Amino acid sequence: MNAVDLHRKLERNSGLLIFGILLVSAIGGLVQVLPSVLQDDLVTPGPGTQPYGPVELIGRDLYIREGCSTCHSQQVRPLLAEVKRYGPYSKAGESAYDRPFLWGSKRTGPDLHRIGGKYTDLWQRMHLLDPRSVVPDSIMPGYPWLAERAADADGSIQARMRALRRLGHPYTEAEIEAAPAALAGLAEVDALVAYLQSLRPPNAEATP
Amino acid sequence: MSDALGLSALPRLVTQPMAVFKALSESAPEGHRVFFQLILPLSLIPPVLAYVGGSAFGWRLGGGEPLMMPAQSLTLISLAYFFAMVFGLVSSAAVSAWMAATYGAQRAFGTHLALAGLVAAPVILASAAHLAPHVFINMLVLIPALIWSLYLLYRGLPEALAIPPERGMLMATALAGYLLVAIVSLLGITVALWSGGIGPAIGV
Amino acid sequence: MEAVSPSPSDAPPLPKPTGGKAVAADRAAGGTAGERYHDRVASWLTAFAMAWSIIGMTAGVYVAAELVWPTIDFGREWLSYGRLRTLHTNAVIFGFGVSALMGTAFYSVQRTCHVPLFAPRLAWFCALAWQAGVLAGGISLLAGWNGGKEYAELEWPFDIAITVVWVCFAIVFFGTIAKRRIKPIYVSNWFYGGLIIVIAMLHLVNSLAIPVTLSKSYSLFAGAQDAIVQWWYGHNAVGFLLTGGFLGMLYYFLPKHAGRPIWSYRLSIVAFWAFTYSYIWAGPHHLHYNAVPEWVQSLGMVMSLVLLAPSWATLVNGVMTVAGAWEKLRTDPALKFIVLSLAFYGLATFEGPMMSIRSVNVVSHFTDWTIGHVHSGALGWNAMITFGAFYFLVPRLMGASLHSVRLANIHFWLALAGTMLYILAMWGAGVSQGLLWLSLDDIGELSFSFKDIMASMAPYYALRLVAGLIFLSGALLMAYNLAMTGKGRRTVAASPPATAAA
Repeated sequence: MNAVDLHRKLERNSGLLIFGILLVSAIGGLVQVLPSVLQDDLVTPGPGTQPYGPVELIGRDLYIREGCSTCHSQQVRPLLAEVKRYGPYSKAGESAYDRPFLWGSKRTGPDLHRIGGKYTDLWQRMHLLDPRSVVPDSIMPGYPWLAERAADADGSIQARMRALRRLGHPYTEAEIEAAPAALAGLAEVDALVAYLQSLRPPNAEATP
Repeated sequence: MSDALGLSALPRLVTQPMAVFKALSESAPEGHRVFFQLILPLSLIPPVLAYVGGSAFGWRLGGGEPLMMPAQSLTLISLAYFFAMVFGLVSSAAVSAWMAATYGAQRAFGTHLALAGLVAAPVILASAAHLAPHVFINMLVLIPALIWSLYLLYRGLPEALAIPPERGMLMATALAGYLLVAIVSLLGITVALWSGGIGPAIGV
Repeated sequence: MEAVSPSPSDAPPLPKPTGGKAVAADRAAGGTAGERYHDRVASWLTAFAMAWSIIGMTAGVYVAAELVWPTIDFGREWLSYGRLRTLHTNAVIFGFGVSALMGTAFYSVQRTCHVPLFAPRLAWFCALAWQAGVLAGGISLLAGWNGGKEYAELEWPFDIAITVVWVCFAIVFFGTIAKRRIKPIYVSNWFYGGLIIVIAMLHLVNSLAIPVTLSKSYSLFAGAQDAIVQWWYGHNAVGFLLTGGFLGMLYYFLPKHAGRPIWSYRLSIVAFWAFTYSYIWAGPHHLHYNAVPEWVQSLGMVMSLVLLAPSWATLVNGVMTVAGAWEKLRTDPALKFIVLSLAFYGLATFEGPMMSIRSVNVVSHFTDWTIGHVHSGALGWNAMITFGAFYFLVPRLMGASLHSVRLANIHFWLALAGTMLYILAMWGAGVSQGLLWLSLDDIGELSFSFKDIMASMAPYYALRLVAGLIFLSGALLMAYNLAMTGKGRRTVAASPPATAAA
């Protein structure tokens, strides 16, 4: 039976057609995606990479909520100009605890993967609440509401950490118990600033 | 009419464009005549103007100081620009001639070449904006010129190749498709060359 | 070259036997007495699609304006760029795109199978539940419910709802095919079928997550693994929804419009299977120079280049089909849209593989060039083929001629102008951004600050805003035109052609 005859069979049998489409479209994923998913070293935390503490975790979730990834990437490429502009290039092990990954696909604003420590907490806070107060030509939107809400307004931090623990993040029970206290009195903007300040190369000197 | 298809046809292109295309359809200009009398002169205009503007004023890309390039770089860029123009016009004519059979528009190659030159003329002349080497000004001038060129393409092609307007619309769209692909290829090739080291220094 | 003819289903139905017993007898003998196509659901989906196109494009214009005047969110979260842009992408893809695909799929599968829809009430459920989902989902996005993955931002309750509706969509579609009267399954149905099956596979895997609260979940995959899974999903959402599904639309509506069969049946077979096979591999071209294994990136690049062939095979098929039908262009604005959509399809399917090449991607990644590429496909291909299909479909569904051919022709020029301006603006912005970011001076230091490069984008962003307004105004004209065409009318009752009953 040649190819055309085989195809005649396929087009006269909806079950075969469905199966054929599924089979043919699954191949690429099986070859490309499956090994990557099964390959542990892609998500083995690199040296110095830690799971996010409760404050940074809330901050990260706020980053996602406000859609920051639509304008900012977090992936410094191993290119000379990028390393000069941003810092050490990003390695897989650094994203081991990133659920979901936030490498981004657009830079309307600069890459943020090495932003931690480059500006003071106060600068970051002012920039988030009103970007043009510190960068007059900025086209970034302001997020004034972040100053008005408590960081853990819905009280979900422990549930978040437990869910992540189920996915393999090594939180101890003590850490989870202590989490609400860490967030007490903090506004959303404080958590987001803490997250941004945590974005630095692993094993970098912590700023005083 | 075959000898009136040089740069001298251009003023009439502004005032009576359809008459120029009709005259083209009634003549059968030889390819090499069209090449030397129309294509080469047209292709020279943008690179020369870009050279003059670039060396006199430097290119402004937006904020900051104008970018002054050494004469050697400017010359190389202008030369590349010239060859790109020639290639663009000749290849468009070749594609047009190749497609012609599908649309019943088989003509001498010289006709297709002249058509390409006439259609491109507005954009080419608008490259006068290169004398003011600011990207934004160039965009403001070149885009309306491009619209005018597209208008000439859609209205002039059926006239020049003596085919019904509907077939002309199909062929013009196919040519516009080729042009889009050609421009994006130019972008891609340029960028690939630069990142491969052939061009200004970029830190890859 | 054997050609597959489109079904002559728009011929007026032959006189049918009336009366219950006669109908039953006719049916028992294999006739089609009393059967009606279920077209009202397609009419409603068309209307919903037009509504979402206006909503989605308006959101797009607004976010484009926000990039020019950032304070027009007035300090309100639900107008904030980060949320509104996500609303834009979801409204145009899942609101406009899927509604258009579902509606044209329901319409065309009946006619290519000569049989009314299987489970018509389920079809209505699909149509209406989908709208409710997109609406609620859109509101949730403005409220900040965001899963953080592109084109999969809707949180887990919506992921479940999508799965349920999609399964019903599959049941209706494949059920109709299963009870078909024409033995061979026509090519447009392979593409619609591919849409349904592959999107199901992608959605199920990429949405795997652990819920924490109603509005928050954490993805099963992390980091580099998540990146690979995400772009396997993301690129193939483009591939099988925005490309494949709309190719289904093309393969049905183009021959119908043109009154001629598809130019080459063999080419359509080769194109379909090569397309379905190669597209899946292309995802990693979104990850060049990122922290994923080199072999994955290279494989993605090579297969993206391979993909050019089946994409252009369909382009050739379309162009040659329409070349033979040129007389129709005189009277048919809808056909003009399809012709133009083929040109932009050619551009987008060429540009994509080109941008997948590492040495091009090194400059284009993260820039507005990517945005330009997306919109050459979204405006030039998806929107235009849909407009062409709808200008053909709505008059037939309503049993009336198009309210204004003149308005449709104006729309054509507005759509062309808007698309071209958008592409040119983004090419300008993207190429300059990409090169300037990488530019080094004579002593090897960065030539320009990010801020200065950012500031120089302003004129391009302004031009893009103008382009979007032009395109949107064309779509508004169309919505008006179609509304007037259907005003005061009900969907025409059409029937499958009578078979030779005993």
